[in-house]
Amino acid sequence: MSNNGKMTLEIFRYHPETDAEPRYQSYEVPYNEDWVVLDAINWIKDHMDGSVTYRWSCRMGVCGSCGMMVNGEPKLTCAAFLKDYYPGAVRVDPLVNFPVERDLLISMDGFMEKLEAVKPYIIRDDVNDTSEGEYRQSPAELARYKQFSMCINCMLCYSACPVVGHEEEFLGPAALALGHRYNKDSRDQGQSERMEVMLSNEAMWGCTFVGECSVVCPKHVDPAGAIQQAKAAGAQEYFKSFVMPRSS
Amino acid sequence: MSGQYHRPHRWAWWTERPGYMRFMIRELTSVFMAGYLVVFVLTLAKVGAGEALAGATPGTIEDVLFGSPHPFAEWIAEMRSPGWMAAHAVALAAAVWHAVTFFGAVPQAMPIFLGEKRLPAPVAMIVMGYGPWLTVTAVILWWVLR
Repeated sequence: MSNNGKMTLEIFRYHPETDAEPRYQSYEVPYNEDWVVLDAINWIKDHMDGSVTYRWSCRMGVCGSCGMMVNGEPKLTCAAFLKDYYPGAVRVDPLVNFPVERDLLISMDGFMEKLEAVKPYIIRDDVNDTSEGEYRQSPAELARYKQFSMCINCMLCYSACPVVGHEEEFLGPAALALGHRYNKDSRDQGQSERMEVMLSNEAMWGCTFVGECSVVCPKHVDPAGAIQQAKAAGAQEYFKSFVMPRSS
Repeated sequence: MSGQYHRPHRWAWWTERPGYMRFMIRELTSVFMAGYLVVFVLTLAKVGAGEALAGATPGTIEDVLFGSPHPFAEWIAEMRSPGWMAAHAVALAAAVWHAVTFFGAVPQAMPIFLGEKRLPAPVAMIVMGYGPWLTVTAVILWWVLR
């Protein structure tokens, strides 16, 4: 289904080797009812301007690569339909709260460091030999963390969070939700190790529960909920440290 | 890496999304509630002043509170002026909004699981928020009005 109309895309352009400041460039693209914003950007890249730089991969809301600001809203561009904006113009910016490398491409370095900081893997005191079989888990135990394991690292939540933009130390919604996901995993024994990172200064306590991270999350992970739960667990851990100071 | 572009800080960030605005309004409610608490503490101080005036063996509580002329009676009369009534109405609205948004957030912050199933948010709000709130309110009302 398409019509002969055109649609305007205003794209944030920034090439560090030539531009001191970013600018917007307008492109007229064919309007196609079943196109998403990513299709339109791909069309620009293929037919009008090969220099437009951006990330994308799966085109089906799984890889988390194509997150951008669409008319000021953090969106997966593969899931943002042109028909929801037509006949108005669509302005595409790189995700806010991240440094811009080039055009719509942001630097993920800080995000990756924060993800790594929460030790997002199962930590065990004892590691069983594989001959002993897997660590078993009941469906009820799985239910405790499954929602938080659905994150695709698209970083939309970092763009929706005002704290991320103002507090460098804050680990941010996705990383904290992932840390909480492993803390809630019945096979994991690394909560206190992880909490040492999460409880330091503003790493987690920076969150003021604005809640917009959960609103924009395309996978319904609810990082805001995860962080509040982690805060409660952290407070318990903190008081426990007075009642039962760590031996050894 | 050099050459990265860092967007400027947005001081008016809270105007950018309706959700941010709701957050700021919720945070602001605490200012009104803090103001109300100051008035409440002053009210308690007036009760204390009343006891001192009434001596070591006060009569009925009504005598202590409303015997005239009396700091507490004067205070209550002052509180009944339109300005103070309006201020209390604003504080009450702020407190109710704070409570409602708090109960709205409870299911997110404190999930209850029954086996594999998570208690649906509306049920959790009643069990952990509105239910206890109404119960406590009813008990206080019963105690005051009996």
